[in-house]
Amino acid sequence: MAGHRLSTSSTSAQAPVDAYLNELSHLLHGPRRRRTRILAELRDGLGQAIADHTTHGRAEGQAVESVIDQFGTPQAVADAFADELITASARRTIAWYIATGPLVGTWWLQLLQPHPWRAGVLGLLAAIPILPLIAVAIATAAGTFATTGRLIRWLPEASPDRAACAAIAIAALAVVGDLAVITLYLQSDASLRPLAIVAISCSAVRIGCSVVALLHATRMRRSSTL
Amino acid sequence: MLPMRPELLKGHLDALLLAVLEPGPQHGYAVIESLRSSSDGALDLPTGTVYPALHRLERAGLIASDWETVGGRRRRAYRLTASGHTALREQRAIWDQFAAAVTAVLRGRPWPATV
Repeated sequence: MAGHRLSTSSTSAQAPVDAYLNELSHLLHGPRRRRTRILAELRDGLGQAIADHTTHGRAEGQAVESVIDQFGTPQAVADAFADELITASARRTIAWYIATGPLVGTWWLQLLQPHPWRAGVLGLLAAIPILPLIAVAIATAAGTFATTGRLIRWLPEASPDRAACAAIAIAALAVVGDLAVITLYLQSDASLRPLAIVAISCSAVRIGCSVVALLHATRMRRSSTL
Repeated sequence: MLPMRPELLKGHLDALLLAVLEPGPQHGYAVIESLRSSSDGALDLPTGTVYPALHRLERAGLIASDWETVGGRRRRAYRLTASGHTALREQRAIWDQFAAAVTAVLRGRPWPATV
């Protein structure tokens, strides 16, 4: 953890706080930036609380002990943050697919059906048979984003487990979709032109990233249910 | 005054945090202290429950946060957004109704109260 020190406390107060936050840092799982911010925020809170206690006449050692007790054990604090971190992780994964989906899809669209408006729905489906999978992934992503973000004031909030499941489902759909289009293209008689190489490369990179995302989301979900 | 068990506050913590932030921006520890002091020690919540609740409110867009550096230390200050002010008004109305109904049942009084 980046060294933000307790400006008002001595080294004897610093050591237990460092040990506490170090233990907590090993128990928090989720996006690195979020974890760093949580630890920085808690370090500040601990510092404030210790300064508050010492201002009211308590010995520094007692103040540190009391404040750490008041904050809860590292495991309890990690457990309290687990839901938020799982949701943040699922949202980040889904946001990544929303951002990269068009980047990969554009190449395949240009390759398999360069004139989608002329082809009509059936023509488009014949050229790109994974379109239903993409529709399911988009609906899942939109639903999860809506029910874990600002719309939770009006919509029922998705549980962290459900958000993680949605991220897993979208990653799995991406793997299946990418593998399917690559296989279909390679099995066709079409030549391997530069556009095809770009599309296949983009899908191959996304398959790799999707496998990592799948493993990560599955691990986070499993750790939350233990 | 007896401290309340955190599970008793389930469902009301959001409104309490919004109310504490209504007068102006505060950092996490100050929010916890405000809850404690304004309830005369009754709402002495474990810190572990307050920080994640603040993060959830930020995700919902009801509060926003800004990082500042104070005395070499990074500090995150939370403030109510326009949606947060609206949500607080709604929560207050819901609470008034809920509290009147529960009081009526517990005290054996008719509800809604007729004057």
